Amino acid sequence: MTYCKRCVYPQITVNLNLDEDGICSSCRSFEKFEKLTPGYWVERKKRFEKIIKETSQKNTSNYDCIIPVSGGKDSYFQAHKIATEYGLKPLLVTYHGNNYLPEGDYDRDRMRHVFNADHLVFGPSVEVLKKLNRLCFRKMGDMNWHAHCGISTYAIQIAVKFNIPLIIWGEVIWDTAGMFDPEDFVEFSARLRHEHALRGYEWSDLINDPRDPLTEKDLLWAKYPSDEEIIKVGVRGLYIGNFFKWDPNAHTKLVKKLYGWKESKKPFERTYRRMSNLDDRYENGLHDYLKYLKFGYGRASDHASKDIRLGYMNRKTGVEMVKKYDHVIPSDLYYWLNYVGMKEKEFWKIANSFRDPRVWRKNKKGEWEKDNIWDEEK
Amino acid sequence: MKKKRLIPIVLLRNGWVVQSKGFHEYKNLGNPFMSVKRLSEWASDELIYLDITRDGEYDLRRDDLRDPNRHDILEIIEDVSKMACMPITFGGRIRTIQDIEKRLFRGADKISINTQALREPSFITNAAKEFGAQCIVVSIDAKLENGKYIVMAEGGKVPTKYEASEWAKIVENYGAGEILINSIDRDGKKSGFEIPLLCSVADAVHIPVIGCGGAGAWEHFGEVFDETRVDAVAAANIFQHVDQSVHLAKKYLYDHNYPVRPPEFFEVS
Amino acid sequence: MTTNVCILDYGSGNVRSVYNMMSQIVSQVTISNAAQDVRSATHLILPGVGAFGASMEKIQKKLPLKVLKEEIFTKKKPFLGICVGMQVLAETGHEFGEHKGLGWIEGTVRKLNSGNLPLPHMGWNEVTIQKQSPILKRFPHNPDFYFVHSYVFEVKHDKDIVGTTLYHENFCSVLFRGNIFGVQFHPEKSQKVGKILLENFIHI
Repeated sequence: MTYCKRCVYPQITVNLNLDEDGICSSCRSFEKFEKLTPGYWVERKKRFEKIIKETSQKNTSNYDCIIPVSGGKDSYFQAHKIATEYGLKPLLVTYHGNNYLPEGDYDRDRMRHVFNADHLVFGPSVEVLKKLNRLCFRKMGDMNWHAHCGISTYAIQIAVKFNIPLIIWGEVIWDTAGMFDPEDFVEFSARLRHEHALRGYEWSDLINDPRDPLTEKDLLWAKYPSDEEIIKVGVRGLYIGNFFKWDPNAHTKLVKKLYGWKESKKPFERTYRRMSNLDDRYENGLHDYLKYLKFGYGRASDHASKDIRLGYMNRKTGVEMVKKYDHVIPSDLYYWLNYVGMKEKEFWKIANSFRDPRVWRKNKKGEWEKDNIWDEEK
Repeated sequence: MKKKRLIPIVLLRNGWVVQSKGFHEYKNLGNPFMSVKRLSEWASDELIYLDITRDGEYDLRRDDLRDPNRHDILEIIEDVSKMACMPITFGGRIRTIQDIEKRLFRGADKISINTQALREPSFITNAAKEFGAQCIVVSIDAKLENGKYIVMAEGGKVPTKYEASEWAKIVENYGAGEILINSIDRDGKKSGFEIPLLCSVADAVHIPVIGCGGAGAWEHFGEVFDETRVDAVAAANIFQHVDQSVHLAKKYLYDHNYPVRPPEFFEVS
Repeated sequence: MTTNVCILDYGSGNVRSVYNMMSQIVSQVTISNAAQDVRSATHLILPGVGAFGASMEKIQKKLPLKVLKEEIFTKKKPFLGICVGMQVLAETGHEFGEHKGLGWIEGTVRKLNSGNLPLPHMGWNEVTIQKQSPILKRFPHNPDFYFVHSYVFEVKHDKDIVGTTLYHENFCSVLFRGNIFGVQFHPEKSQKVGKILLENFIHI
């Protein structure tokens, strides 16, 4: 396995590309953002303001935009920009997948206390969620598919229903691979959602499973609107990270200070960060562990790579973080097994079937092993 | 009245659809066919699908996706053809008559050759005789050097002795049915098309010419139609950045009275 | 009788796209040149790209012409010729020398007079509906279809011409006589309107 020379991503990182110099596409995209002078950011801010003005002119509803929020640090930053700095009236929309940590509940519910915004929280029936947890784990090794779907679908349904033409997203969440450059000004699209959030699966692939039967009516929230419906309202999904410099550590400081945002009381088991993913206990836990089982890298690799680029840590420390955290089996495994009523033996049987042979092999003792970044020097 | 064509280009590299920036930086965007499905749903006029793989395998490096991970270009062509109810030109790594035959059999309507045409111009004639001239597109990459547009070979790296308009006439005489002219200088820059290059080629031949390289805004397409005689404009990266991109581009052109098909949507089963 | 489309395979051109689009419309579609498939089909399609002469040669070699004629002229089965598949219906073709066509519709195939416009005629162009016919129902005013050709069928009798297209000259883009249809353009490449046309054909 080869690794990026700058950050700690392995070559197999989802959607990643290593160039001739051994630098990954994610580092290259970041490089381009870093090269943007203050002058460029001023231009980008103007471009954002131009779009706000244009959409408000054809907006017939009472909300200036939708902000899909989980209640996390990014949500607060987005709401801060739109509601506080620009004085617009957003409709906050949350998909509630029933996996919130207590701090996450607090931060989510607090939003309409600290921002002048209305807040719509939507959650599918828990019985449906449990079925999706089990079904998607069996089918694609991902119990959190429902969340990727809910987050990337529900807000757009609401935009269409309420005639709100603008949706303000934060970071290009699945662009950890550096698919796009600053000058692309990429926007949210059905293809990105379908391929990268949902792995090519849609609600129609998940109905009538014999073990966890679901009907069309169970998945109404999962249906993406048609091109015609979207064009009729003129819905656009902008990523605020394209217009304002994106720095999660700085955002956390800001939203803690201004709005009393709370990070996790306990450290996470699989990463050194405390301010990510309070809306879903499995994002840093079991769901991320499955990523490790599949591709041999986890959240610590993601966070360390980002922080190396931002200058908060050097590569040596990053490698140490990967060594310390990537392989850890999280205790929320047992929480999840209890939640969905699955036995541990069945869990491991299914989980191990997703180990990618490009990464994993069995040694003479029959144990799973792989190349590791800290063995690079050897 | 015949319409001008707006043609999306999809670039394939090692089994990934990619963005190409300046012929040297590549960003993986997704699987080989999903982009094609969307372009089809936006009723694109045509599609150009170029395999720019230099070496190595076709592999999405994971097998947990809903759709099969294809390792063979011919399987990819077949998947893509099913998604597109519009004419498709396939290009890239075509060296022999059999290469062309295999691609046409899998669903390609036209094929595009670049390197092979430079190495062996008579290949154009043989291919046109076998499959019909309308099937053979010759793709030309050109770079401005000392005031002249020089044809570049080997993926835009090695200069040839030909000027673009000169080579265009030569390939027309050899029997090409269409020309795709690409400006290397403008590739990925988003600053507009290389108008003088497109003019020089379109004015030199009697076969249809597609102009490419530099699209950054819908207005740039309009400029090409205003200032050159090309039959079509093509672009790759720009159509991957926003949803319903082709529909929006067509709407811009149609609303500004350019001779294009009206924007619409099409259901791909 | 359930619809059963037979796409005639004589080794010419891209039958795959016709097949792909037809499969979205009906469930029973075959690509074949066997006499029994021609007999059991309810609708027949002759696709075609490439040169007139070369296509005629392959047609004569590979297709059961006697059976075809029977099914078309005696049994009156609906028949659709696409592009070169329409041109070969002519008496003669003048591409790369003079060649005999099937002679089912009077007229000759000759080079399109495109003036200063580029050849081949490649892209989307309007079909002006001159007369009504079963395959041209349900169309918006002057639909755009995808054309790619350098030769045209100069149909002798006006009554056979139901659609024309302008590309420097006005040429016949849709012909129709009884149960025989010919289209110069490619419906299988023409998205929405192409699908409507093929659906119309199936309902005959």
